[in-house]
Amino acid sequence: MKTKYFVFLLFSVFYGCSDSQYVDVPLDFKVPSNFPQLVYNIGNNPPTEKGFELGKKIFYDGRLSSDGLVACGSCHIQANAFTHHGHTVSHGVNNAMGTRNAPSIQNLAFQTQFMWDGATTHLDLQPMIPLVSSIEMNGNLTKIMAMFAADAKYKLLFKQAFTDGQINSENMLKALAQFQTMVISSNSRFDKYRRNEPGGDLSADELAGYALFNSKCAICHATDLFTDNSFRNNGLAVNPLVNDVGRYKVTLDPNDYYKFKVPSLRNVEVTAPYMHDGRFGTLDAVLNHYSTAMVNSATLDPLLNQNGTIGIPLTSTEKQQIIAFLKTLTDNQYLTDSRFSDK
Amino acid sequence: MKNILKKSIAVVAVAMTLVSCSKKEDAIMGTGTLKIQYENGFAGNELVLGSPTVATSQGEVLKISTIKYIISNIVLYNENGDVYTYPKSQSYFIVDEQTPTSLLISLPNVPAGNYNKIKFGIGVDQAQYNLGASGQGDFWTQAQAAGMDWGWAAGYKFVRFEGTFTAPSATPSVTADTSFMVHTGQTSTDYNYREVTLPLPTSALVRTTISPQIHLSTDLSKIIDGTNKVSLAANNNMGMGAMIMGGTVLTQISDNIPSMFSVEHVHNDPN
Repeated sequence: MKTKYFVFLLFSVFYGCSDSQYVDVPLDFKVPSNFPQLVYNIGNNPPTEKGFELGKKIFYDGRLSSDGLVACGSCHIQANAFTHHGHTVSHGVNNAMGTRNAPSIQNLAFQTQFMWDGATTHLDLQPMIPLVSSIEMNGNLTKIMAMFAADAKYKLLFKQAFTDGQINSENMLKALAQFQTMVISSNSRFDKYRRNEPGGDLSADELAGYALFNSKCAICHATDLFTDNSFRNNGLAVNPLVNDVGRYKVTLDPNDYYKFKVPSLRNVEVTAPYMHDGRFGTLDAVLNHYSTAMVNSATLDPLLNQNGTIGIPLTSTEKQQIIAFLKTLTDNQYLTDSRFSDK
Repeated sequence: MKNILKKSIAVVAVAMTLVSCSKKEDAIMGTGTLKIQYENGFAGNELVLGSPTVATSQGEVLKISTIKYIISNIVLYNENGDVYTYPKSQSYFIVDEQTPTSLLISLPNVPAGNYNKIKFGIGVDQAQYNLGASGQGDFWTQAQAAGMDWGWAAGYKFVRFEGTFTAPSATPSVTADTSFMVHTGQTSTDYNYREVTLPLPTSALVRTTISPQIHLSTDLSKIIDGTNKVSLAANNNMGMGAMIMGGTVLTQISDNIPSMFSVEHVHNDPN
């Protein structure tokens, strides 16, 4: 008799209003000291253990796509700073080809614009673009929600990660955002150099490369995140087969023809191929473009067309020094961090 | 005695649990349901999808195949000066002519009162967009199912107005049925969300026993033939159809949108 009442009392307390007694654990989100200001409103969607776990599961789940195969993680591979190694442009469902190179996922909570053309300004909403695009995942949200609801693991995670426990698009996007905000790369040799930490030694060539970078590249590739979040035309010859108009597609402003977002250069050693369409296979090719191969046009960035000289003059020694510096941005901890991995 | 004590503790515990979960029931006291009926028409006539409309002031005749719009941010004004803002996350609706149930919006749990004015938004407001996913619940899913997501920009279509048109008096004239698509939504230059405030000819008397219905007439001709006159023929891109999804003309159309709504009448029938 005694035990019965006791058990009943316990049930009243724990199960009176909620289905689960699991209490989610907040994750420690830290802004590295050499980073610019946080952009994402982390208070609106604070990462938690289960929210992150759910976001990661969604990120790596091909069942979100119409053919059940293409996951976010298919074109965003961790070992390549979440880019699609070896692919100029990625293929989506039914082998549909895109027109742009998959951008990196790192430090997104510090960025103001997303996609090569800045089609969205909010990290929460960005995943909707590849998710519903017919040439990427071609996903159907109604079917995705039904898939979540029929999967015991998803059901549990949604319940544990969110106070309302609802399986809906809001919580799906929040979980994806929690995963993505936690994917931070801040422990390259360069970071340690900047923070005067052990392991932060740069060679003479790397330091020379850093000085050159600061004088020739850092206006656009600004801050320790190496982007000023702007859109610029860097003089790439227009591919007539694609004629990707870039930022113009979003703004319909002729001044924005062929402008693309300035990408971060972190982990650039492992993110080949380069540019919005992946046209360059090596960093040498990239620097050759900037020094000698640029094409003039009405919207070419003025910084790249000074005193009648198009491009950035660079000697071959300078190029090698800049590349040596760029390789100090490789962050092996982030590239191999098991928290971010599918395994 | 001991047993009675234990029993009473159990009873109290059960009672506490029940009370803690049933506050809602107490709050329902003094509230009722308000319904809003949207009736789509065109220049005074009932809308019949696929049938020719009367000519607009530009001499254009439309055959409308699709009309959908997002209604949001519903605010009710009480005769006594109180303003009741319906919970934002619960006030997103897609009104779709092809889905008859969507034409009647039901707002439960409205505080009892005499409301003489209503305000609502057409689209998803910018403050909500800037919040990201927060507060959107399952609206993304609904929007995609209704074709009201604007996938390439991670946004929403606010108004989706599609069909074919002819413009025999335009130069050059358009005599064959030619498609048109008007999609309003966020562009880089204009957010294009709009609100409309409508006084009610008869107050809506929300009671526990009365669920008033506000009947709104929506004159779709106003989308292109309102204060701003937009010619579909003038936007007929090389004969490929009038695809209006951006630019200043979209802002002109967005400015026309609030004027398409008017209040027909209010029912205050007992439940």
